Amino acid sequence: MLEAIELTKTYGDHTVLDRLSLHVGPGEIYCLLGANGAGKTTTINLFLDFIPRSSGTARIHGMDVAEHSLETKRHLAYIPEQVNLYGNLSGLENLSYLSRLGGRTDLGTDDLLEFLSRVGLTVDTAGRPVRTYSKGMRQKVGIAAAIAKRAGVLLLDEPTSGLDPKSSNEFSELLLMLRAEGVAILMATHDLFRAKETGTRVGIMKHGRLVASLDTSEVGHTDLERIYLEHMHD
Amino acid sequence: MLLYTILKYELRLLAADRTLAVVVLLLSLSVGYGVSNGFAWTEFQRRTLATAAREEAGRFQELKSRLAAPGSRGVPADQFGSTLGTRFAGLPPGPLAALVIGQSDILPYVTSITTTDHPSLVNDVEIENPTHLLTGRFDLGFVVVTLYPLVILALSYNSLSADKESGTLAQLLSQPVTLRTLLLGKVAARGLVVIGIAVAISVGGVLLTAGVPSGEKLVRLLLWLALVAIYGAFWFTLATLVNALGWSSATNALTLAGSWLLLVAVVPAIANVVVRSTHPMPSRVELTLALRTASDRAHATGPRLSSRFLEAHPELVKGAAEADEFAVQSLAVQEATEQGITEILEDFERQLSRQQSLVDRFRFVSPSIATLEGLQDVAGVGSARYRLYLSQVASFHDHRRDYFRPRILRKEPIEANDLDDLPAFAFEEESLGSVAGRVGTALIGLTLPTLVLAVMSRSVLRRYRIAGY
Amino acid sequence: MVFEIARKEFLDLLRDGRLRWCGAIIAALLLAATLVGWRSWREVSAERAAAQTEANRHFDEQEEKNPHAAAHYGLYVFKQKPSLSFLDPGVDPYTGVSIHLEAHRRNEAKDRPVRDSTAIQRFGELTAAVVLQVLLPLLVVFLVFPVIAAEREQGTLRLLMSLGVSPRSIVLGKLIGVTAALGLIVVPAAALGMLVLLAGGFHSERAWPHAPILGVAYSLYLGMFVVVSMAVSARCKSSRHALIILMALWIMNTTIAPRFATDLSRRLLPTPSSLEFQSSIGTELKAGIDGHHVGDERLERLKSELLAKHRVDTVEELPINFEGVALQASEDFGNEVHDRHRGRLEKTLGRQDTLRKALGILFPTLAIRELSMALAGTDNDHARDFADAAESHRRKLVRELNRDLEVNGAGLGFMYQAGPDLWRSMPRFRHRPQELPEILTRQTLGWVSLVTWFAAGIVLLNGATHSMRVD
Repeated sequence: MLEAIELTKTYGDHTVLDRLSLHVGPGEIYCLLGANGAGKTTTINLFLDFIPRSSGTARIHGMDVAEHSLETKRHLAYIPEQVNLYGNLSGLENLSYLSRLGGRTDLGTDDLLEFLSRVGLTVDTAGRPVRTYSKGMRQKVGIAAAIAKRAGVLLLDEPTSGLDPKSSNEFSELLLMLRAEGVAILMATHDLFRAKETGTRVGIMKHGRLVASLDTSEVGHTDLERIYLEHMHD
Repeated sequence: MLLYTILKYELRLLAADRTLAVVVLLLSLSVGYGVSNGFAWTEFQRRTLATAAREEAGRFQELKSRLAAPGSRGVPADQFGSTLGTRFAGLPPGPLAALVIGQSDILPYVTSITTTDHPSLVNDVEIENPTHLLTGRFDLGFVVVTLYPLVILALSYNSLSADKESGTLAQLLSQPVTLRTLLLGKVAARGLVVIGIAVAISVGGVLLTAGVPSGEKLVRLLLWLALVAIYGAFWFTLATLVNALGWSSATNALTLAGSWLLLVAVVPAIANVVVRSTHPMPSRVELTLALRTASDRAHATGPRLSSRFLEAHPELVKGAAEADEFAVQSLAVQEATEQGITEILEDFERQLSRQQSLVDRFRFVSPSIATLEGLQDVAGVGSARYRLYLSQVASFHDHRRDYFRPRILRKEPIEANDLDDLPAFAFEEESLGSVAGRVGTALIGLTLPTLVLAVMSRSVLRRYRIAGY
Repeated sequence: MVFEIARKEFLDLLRDGRLRWCGAIIAALLLAATLVGWRSWREVSAERAAAQTEANRHFDEQEEKNPHAAAHYGLYVFKQKPSLSFLDPGVDPYTGVSIHLEAHRRNEAKDRPVRDSTAIQRFGELTAAVVLQVLLPLLVVFLVFPVIAAEREQGTLRLLMSLGVSPRSIVLGKLIGVTAALGLIVVPAAALGMLVLLAGGFHSERAWPHAPILGVAYSLYLGMFVVVSMAVSARCKSSRHALIILMALWIMNTTIAPRFATDLSRRLLPTPSSLEFQSSIGTELKAGIDGHHVGDERLERLKSELLAKHRVDTVEELPINFEGVALQASEDFGNEVHDRHRGRLEKTLGRQDTLRKALGILFPTLAIRELSMALAGTDNDHARDFADAAESHRRKLVRELNRDLEVNGAGLGFMYQAGPDLWRSMPRFRHRPQELPEILTRQTLGWVSLVTWFAAGIVLLNGATHSMRVD
């Protein structure tokens, strides 16, 4: 599970994230919505400890990410808009490298192939260099890495943007599978449709602040769009 | 463990990339060419020295049979000393000379020793196309000092920036790995490959050209390897620092290429100018003229010089009832001439040793200077060894003159049995201790900047931006 | 349109801090190198001129002696510094500067300045020529590699082309902008060089046609780098790729090619060791006439011919001094032997030079190096010319002295003596450097290389312009 308490990030006078508080428990998918520059990616980067926070706390499994930078990373997986892998290595090799770095040195090739097949990559594909992969296939390797690592937390930064509808749908299926396994998922996205379909909760951000937080079961598709646009208006 | 994983996958990545193959191929070709050039040159020198030795032995043999013939009255000592009995003083190629040509194509390595000419005035330079001297040779020393850093920089200028630009960096750092470990792994992988190849190739070069090293040669080889490894480490650390600054790959490439040019070419060239203008050499043109003036003057005052000479050297005429007047005069003229130029000659030596000590200090400014000098010292083509040769030549010359002078004055001819008493010149190799001492200083001169760069990289890396503005 | 692009490019380059620094460093080095070169030129040429005067005086002020003894005493001649050597000292430090002219033997030029140098001499000297040949091209590469490739990466090329700007105007505009930025370094440097040349106390008549031609050669060389870099930038997908290709080109040219050429020509066209060379001359000389030992067969023949010609029975009755004739005969024989050996050696050295010049077709830096040294009067050919001039002066001097012995010393044998009047009447050594047309024809290969590369660069750039991809 992951939580943010009064999490703030400023660059000089400019506040990019303003006292964000949220909580994502096991089996929850929290979708962050908002315009470009609203602070979604900053939130994800703070959870990854890629940038230092200005004040507040970000916790993963109850541990402060700034104080336990390495420890918290044992429990999380990160899938950005573009899962960037080494083009000259095969999908299997990339997965093996990432999971070894993640501490899973016990996994054999068969285990890794098994994870890849769970996300829909055949043995044949797994052996090909990643530079031949489509964007959707790379995202799947990212999910496989999360599975291999047994990550309890998944941080997603606009993972479906630029994916064709079929790939996007496959990706959502995988997320639902992970959710069912009790993974806590935080996803920044522009895709209102996917947010409603897969998310358990939706947060709307504006100018670095969380201006609304809704339970998806409480709103319909059209309602979500209306609420979102209302918040964006002024 | 983690470091091992990074190392392993970085090596796999390097292997998958064409760059490594190309770079290794080019390095190997250059090394092969360099070593074979160095080897050809030492062989040429050895052949020349052998020719000189053969000529000398033949001449002595012929003379001996002539003198041993019945009725021979010997050869006058002055004639023997100035022409017939000329000895060649050769400087054999150093223990690992095939690896570096250094200055050995510029400086004479055979000096003909007579009683008349002072060895520092003898002009036994090797025939060579002047443009070749200007350019310098393609030896292993050049490959190590100049091309090897380029190989290192070509492999590591983007070790971190490429990952940042392609986005893999964020992916890797979302794993429980610190940036420092990651960078260390990347540098270690490249270092292992390049320094490993450089070391292996050096060892191979020695095996091919000098056989299996043992004893002193082995120590020299080890010093060579230490220089190569630490010089490599310096460039790796520099590349690491530049990567830690977080610039783009293109900026890194520009910065590193500029640093390379600065350290390998510009700083040494400036050092050269500084050294030569702070301790300018007296001019050889002036020396040539001074020699002539001194000799003219000595000739003009010949008779007076003779009596002064006899007064100054009573030991020389001891036992001889009356010395040969012509011989006395020519010795007196010779001595007076040499006295006329001692000051300039001493000035040459003084300035050269001042220049050398300034160069020694420049080793701490430019790692390339430190390495070049170190490699030359180890190979046995360095300036210290050359100065040792010159001083041995000078004392050999003085010895011979001390032997011949009394004989000339006493009109004692050289006879067959005297020939065996006349020593030949044999260069006494400089002690390993003094080589190791100088190379040790060079190693310190290399290690210090490497450490400074490493510490700087460490602190700069803390401010590295993985993401954000 | 072209002007707008050129202006934007020019301002862009000027605003780039890194390039400002690089440019400033290179300009400072060029300035320093020129001034250091000028200072050392002034010192050395004053010293050499004074040395020649003194050497002449030594010769003139000999006491009364046999002319052949004067020929043994001989004369020192010194190589004078050519004017443009302050820009490019070339092989001057590596060749002997003085030659002792004496009877019977051809001496090598001695006193190479490089003999008294430390190990860092091997890194080369900082001269204006090095800055122009090595550092400036690198600056060109740094300036030019991104001009088109980076615009493609950023997508601004797409934007420009969508505005209806033709690739031709983009390339032309950028070419002008880059050249203008480079001009900021090159033009003041050239002006400074001119100023030094006009006010530096040179014999400017020898520098006048050479200097502008040198300027043309360097402009072609640098222009070639600009055009080729531009073409590579236009063809490459990423600026990083362009940089790597251009750096490789630069390193091959400036660092690897010169040394590669050195060892290649040594291997293909080996020269004998000095010891071998001298001893083979010595052996041949020993087998021939030796003027000092009147027992030689050939000398006897010469004697009987002379006696028959003058219809006398003994040498003493001859109306001339036989020693003079004999010495000159020995001299002629020695010259012939020397010429044969020296000729062979020079041929090999000349072939080495030709090989290097031919490699200049592949590596333009080799070509400009040779051209620059030739125009500055500091290449192998000039060193060889000096040695040849000295040798022909030696022969003239020795011949005249022997002739005096022959004509005026009749009946006196070696007892004949001449005085300072004779010494002073001897010809003076004057070495006129090569004429410009000769220099230029000797360097045909260099010009061919530079022009070809420049033209090839333009063709390449033209091709890249016609088939320019937006991304």
